[in-house]
Amino acid sequence: MPLNDRAEQRKCIETVWGKLIPEKEAYRYATREIAAFCANLFQVMRILEPDYNKRTEAICEVSYMMNMSASCEQYLKDFFDEWNIPEFCEKSAWLGAIFGDSGDEYENMAGRVIQFTRNRVEKELDTCPWDIVGSELCNMTTAMFTANFDLTSPDGENTVALNMCEARGCGDRHCRVVAERRDVFNLPKQGWMDHMQQPVMPVHNTPPERSFTGGQIIRNGRYSNAFGEEKTFEWSYRWCMELGWVWCVIFPLVAIRDMAATEEEFQRIFKIVFSTAGKNAFVEPFAVEGMRSWLGVPHEIGQNDPRLMGGYIKAVLDTQLVPNELIAFTKEEIQIKVKTDDFNGRFEMAPTEELSLGYETFWHNAVKTMVSPEWSCWFEGKDNDEMTIVVARKIDKRMI
Amino acid sequence: MLFREDSIARAQHQAVRENVGWFQWTHDLVEVTGTDAGKFLDYLFVNSIYKAGVGRTKYTTMLDEKGKIIDDTIVMHMGEDHYWVSTLYAPQFIKWADAHSNGFEVSYRNITDDTVMFSVQGPNSAKMMNALLKSSVDDLKRFQVVDDQIGDVSIKVHRSGFTGENGYEIYCAKSDAVVVEAALREVGKSFSAVELDILEVYVRSLSMEKGFALRQDMFGLTPYECGLDWSVDLEKDFVGKDALLRAKEEGPKQLLMGLEFFAESYEDITQREIVYSKGIPCGFVRAVIYGYTADKNIGFAVIDSAHAVVGEKVTVGSNDSPAIVTDKCFL
Repeated sequence: MPLNDRAEQRKCIETVWGKLIPEKEAYRYATREIAAFCANLFQVMRILEPDYNKRTEAICEVSYMMNMSASCEQYLKDFFDEWNIPEFCEKSAWLGAIFGDSGDEYENMAGRVIQFTRNRVEKELDTCPWDIVGSELCNMTTAMFTANFDLTSPDGENTVALNMCEARGCGDRHCRVVAERRDVFNLPKQGWMDHMQQPVMPVHNTPPERSFTGGQIIRNGRYSNAFGEEKTFEWSYRWCMELGWVWCVIFPLVAIRDMAATEEEFQRIFKIVFSTAGKNAFVEPFAVEGMRSWLGVPHEIGQNDPRLMGGYIKAVLDTQLVPNELIAFTKEEIQIKVKTDDFNGRFEMAPTEELSLGYETFWHNAVKTMVSPEWSCWFEGKDNDEMTIVVARKIDKRMI
Repeated sequence: MLFREDSIARAQHQAVRENVGWFQWTHDLVEVTGTDAGKFLDYLFVNSIYKAGVGRTKYTTMLDEKGKIIDDTIVMHMGEDHYWVSTLYAPQFIKWADAHSNGFEVSYRNITDDTVMFSVQGPNSAKMMNALLKSSVDDLKRFQVVDDQIGDVSIKVHRSGFTGENGYEIYCAKSDAVVVEAALREVGKSFSAVELDILEVYVRSLSMEKGFALRQDMFGLTPYECGLDWSVDLEKDFVGKDALLRAKEEGPKQLLMGLEFFAESYEDITQREIVYSKGIPCGFVRAVIYGYTADKNIGFAVIDSAHAVVGEKVTVGSNDSPAIVTDKCFL
């Protein structure tokens, strides 16, 4: 009887205990992790700026400007070449829609382009990993889309009214972005707080039984746009791990830093928020049980063992596609070496040290509830080319 | 997406089926010239370009070395050693031509930005064209292109289209587009002609009902897998011929087929959605649309040969949308 020489191969992430996390599950997890980091950052923003409108306008302004400056003429030309967008597509009308649709799908925002005409574009989402962050972010994304449309406007003027008329971050079942041409629908130019209005034309509401639970790259293994151009799951995962941080963390961070009177004030509040999030991450006993199951932690690894935290941190880094190396993995000490640029510069052009600060603070506090308060987590050599993530015992009479 | 209840899309669609409709749809255009222009195009394309005399045009696919479709075009023989290639992807075509032009006395350039094309389609399109043009189109054959005038504006008229109805394409200089458009609008009034502005109606709904696929639907398949056997001239040499001959001998592994859906709408089916036979993947969707004349949600899919049988019951996508495999032509 013939037997196969070997089992069929699929890509996975292997935990330190040999449990295999399928690539798609790793991607889903990593995407939500970025959203969780963003949610913590937005709590920092809410403390620094209590006025909803002021803080929302601030991040809208920054994200609009950043998106405008990031998308130079050559970048857009390359985008059109890459997607083979034919000449009959009026680029000024549709760039934003095509751009946005591909970005959504790379980030597991599953949905559909309902309408795609010169005068009106409607995009509906059934899922969004960022739906836990809050409505300021939903507003902010419309500012980014506005930049996408303005960039290709024939006269450089804003020609499109853009509304996120439903948003999962506001409790709606769908996210729904509608762009309507201002001259056709007689619409005024919008301010940053005007982007969550209802559109002029009625929307199409997809019924629950025809909704998606995962994006194209999850369902079909690749993203394909209306012109038949495709990106693989692998390509999209990598894209998301780079640029997923840029729009939701690095862009708003520019505005949030400005909300603090001093750098010390920003860091103080930032650390308080991320510590609280860390402490709460494993406060429920079943959270630890769930994590052990997810990582395949054997029973020999007891409750007061730092390897629990080390294995968890390594899985987070691996799912986020950050190259790392285990240097020590014992009952006494965990050391994980990582290049500082890899950790902070997920998107090479936009490194941000707040990633180190955020995760160091978060993990230092998460280990208290996941393992025990005897353990701490810190990063050594943050100013060097390589840094080491350490989990070890530490006594600090002023520990927070 | 198009939906059954969209009365505006329905009116535009039915105008072309029952009367006449017009729209601007400028394909990318590449002008090919030189003493070897014809030979060169014959080498790039599977159809017999050499058989098209001046003023005649031909549909053809373009293959890679593996015999797989990478583009489909209309090649228009505009004059002695002078051709236009109508494609949706001129920059890609030029890259491909660059890679294969060695040894040919040929030059080519992207003239898309200089030209605008309007399409006039429907059973009454000839009447409207006769009212619009200086000369009559009554003797114009399918896949024939001639010079003509609209008022003082010089244009080219090509009897062709992508709707499955009798139709004409008007090519004019970009600087004359405003005049041509105004004339179309004015003359169209007396024929109750409808201007189409919904891309999916004139690119998908009308064409798919009649079995016309886009390049992206056929990309990566052989002409035989797309039912385009008639367009392959094996008497001449062309890029991908050896691989295509092998593929022909082996028989198609998959086929481009039609799908007819039974659900009310298709919001959960995108291009590349997986097609299942008894729960086992057997292909993938290429495009889905609502056809206003067929009154159905219809699509194209690439189906494994064993399941590419008209009447085969399948499900599509993550919500198990029921469908059956059909011929590519729905009317």
